[in-house]
Amino acid sequence: MSVADASSLSRPVADEPSAVTRLAAWFTVADHARLGRLYLGFTGVWLLLAAVLGALLGAERMDAGAALVDTGAHVQLFGLYHYALVLGVLAPLFLGVALLVVPSLLKAATVSFVRLASFGFWMWAAGGALVVASIIANGGPGGGTADAVELYLLGLGIAIVGILCTAVSLAATVMTRRNGATLDSVSVFVFAVLVSTVGLVLTMPVALGTVIYLWVDFANARVAFGGTGLMASWLAWLFDQPQSLLFAAPALGVLGHLGAVAARTRQPLRGGVLVGIGLCAVAVVASVTQRSHPFTVGDTPGETLGSFVPFALFHLLPLLAPLIVIALALLALKAGSPRLVAPFVPAFLGVGMILTGLVGTAVQMIDTTDLQGTVFTEAALVYVVYGSVLGAFGAVAYWSTAIWRRVLPTGAVLGVSLLGFVAVVLAALPHYVAGFLNQPAATATGHDDAGLRGILNGVSALGHLAMVLAVLGAVAVIVGARSRGTETTTNPYDTAEVAQ
Amino acid sequence: MTVPALTAGPVRRRSSVFVATAFAAAGATALIGSMLAMWLDFRAKAPLRASSDGAKMIKDWLKADVAVPEVASNTMMITFVAVCIMAQWAVYSARRADRSHTILALSITAAIGLALVNAQIALYLQMGLELRNDAYETLFYAVTGTMLALIVSGVVYSLVALFRVWAGRMGDHDVLAAHALYWYALGGMFLAVWFVVYVQK
Repeated sequence: MSVADASSLSRPVADEPSAVTRLAAWFTVADHARLGRLYLGFTGVWLLLAAVLGALLGAERMDAGAALVDTGAHVQLFGLYHYALVLGVLAPLFLGVALLVVPSLLKAATVSFVRLASFGFWMWAAGGALVVASIIANGGPGGGTADAVELYLLGLGIAIVGILCTAVSLAATVMTRRNGATLDSVSVFVFAVLVSTVGLVLTMPVALGTVIYLWVDFANARVAFGGTGLMASWLAWLFDQPQSLLFAAPALGVLGHLGAVAARTRQPLRGGVLVGIGLCAVAVVASVTQRSHPFTVGDTPGETLGSFVPFALFHLLPLLAPLIVIALALLALKAGSPRLVAPFVPAFLGVGMILTGLVGTAVQMIDTTDLQGTVFTEAALVYVVYGSVLGAFGAVAYWSTAIWRRVLPTGAVLGVSLLGFVAVVLAALPHYVAGFLNQPAATATGHDDAGLRGILNGVSALGHLAMVLAVLGAVAVIVGARSRGTETTTNPYDTAEVAQ
Repeated sequence: MTVPALTAGPVRRRSSVFVATAFAAAGATALIGSMLAMWLDFRAKAPLRASSDGAKMIKDWLKADVAVPEVASNTMMITFVAVCIMAQWAVYSARRADRSHTILALSITAAIGLALVNAQIALYLQMGLELRNDAYETLFYAVTGTMLALIVSGVVYSLVALFRVWAGRMGDHDVLAAHALYWYALGGMFLAVWFVVYVQK
């Protein structure tokens, strides 16, 4: 035995890292892929919470008199439901997907300022935890405990800062790590991530400013912003369309990318796809006015025009974004040699659902429909959020070889996608109908629950439960592929013809 | 005889720090801009009251017994010009590999930033405005407090840049340029705050 060998034997063998070390490694994670998986994991938990809340509130609405939960908690539950849908699921969803795949699409080693992105993730996670804690402690919009209401505002502010930090990291990545590629030559998904993150950088501070105002007012004078009763209305624009389109823009990028992949050809009108995705940026103006812009037919043509122009800017122009991307994806299929690419299915269905949500928002903004303040509004948001989830599933399924080095089985992807699609339709469509029956939004009592209304609310609850099943199904597909699938880095869907 | 074609020079990669700072500055501008927009909205919707001499009706916004210290706020505005010049001096010195002047410029930048914080606190003390009566007080403290927090972030940025140069990283021109950009942006933001909150009131 050599001397060196003897000394190595006398030294203690390096132990497995302790639990504390492993825990610290998670909190100080500086690996973009791990961070992306963390984002998706936590978003999945929020999605389950949102779907369960949706099912609970749907069941509660089946009988306007009965109370599965305390009637006094309804306002807070609706507040938590909206938070879960938008800041729990929609906003971080594509940040996670982007952290996972943008570096590889740009041929970059990692994202810029990965620790900033990591900080952002933990801020967002901590903010969400504070929001849940505050709701449990009778805080949040409509809450009755002052400290808990302040805790809610703190959580909201922290979560917004977290999303901002990750958005800055991703936007800087796309701007500086393209390795010589121009913006019009990168993947349309990357372009969509840039549009989305720059939009977030410009709009989330506006939400933060409102939160600061609300907190200063609530903690002191309580004269300017109306206390907890009006808290939700000050931030309503953040949880509504068209702002949600900024969060959902990368779903359009996924479809733009996969349209060409499924068609096995270059996108014939690639510039048009980029313009379509760029139109999502129109949503930035939502933060400028922070109020809705209904269309009212006035007494004079001038009044009508004065009402129509902002309505068109806020609600018709954003419609063009998913319309253009869907149309050009179909054009690519027509021009190329289409084949079944499983991830294309959820991406296509998802953007279709986003379009349905945006159309619904535009319809309810027409004054004569009398849909404002009804559950129609909630249904439009559900369409956009759950549609984005479908789009994200398409992205994860397509880039699964880059994320997990496994191919997700085609049949399983199609099955989960169709279940998700059915879930979205069941969860949202009944409330589109109930909106025309004047069922009020943000409350589960005081409406007429007889006949069709009760059935519609029940179907909506079932739709949310189906979404729970779809999420669990997606997790099972991914876990199954990771445990049983063959390791590969070759994407089976990529072909030589498609140069994104 | 053939003349060899000139090869292209190296592509200069855009600095991540500079771009990220630009995004951060844009976000901060959106933050202050939105808060000022709400300030203007509240002021426009303030109810009317009779002026102190009873001659006309005026907006019931700024109470008659509240005096905004204009000397302190004007001094802050002028100081911002100085801080931007110092930040740019740091960029100028670093490009000439002048370490001592770079350190001096960054030190002065940080010190002036601290002076701005001091001036803001002095302004609060002079006003003696209580935060419990009306919308003006809420909005005043929220806007100026947020601006103060942004100034503190600028000071921290200066100290980090100073530490890097002190430690010998003189080649980080982009960091110093980004640092200067951030102070320019803060200057622009304070110009808006100064005009809306302290001049127009």
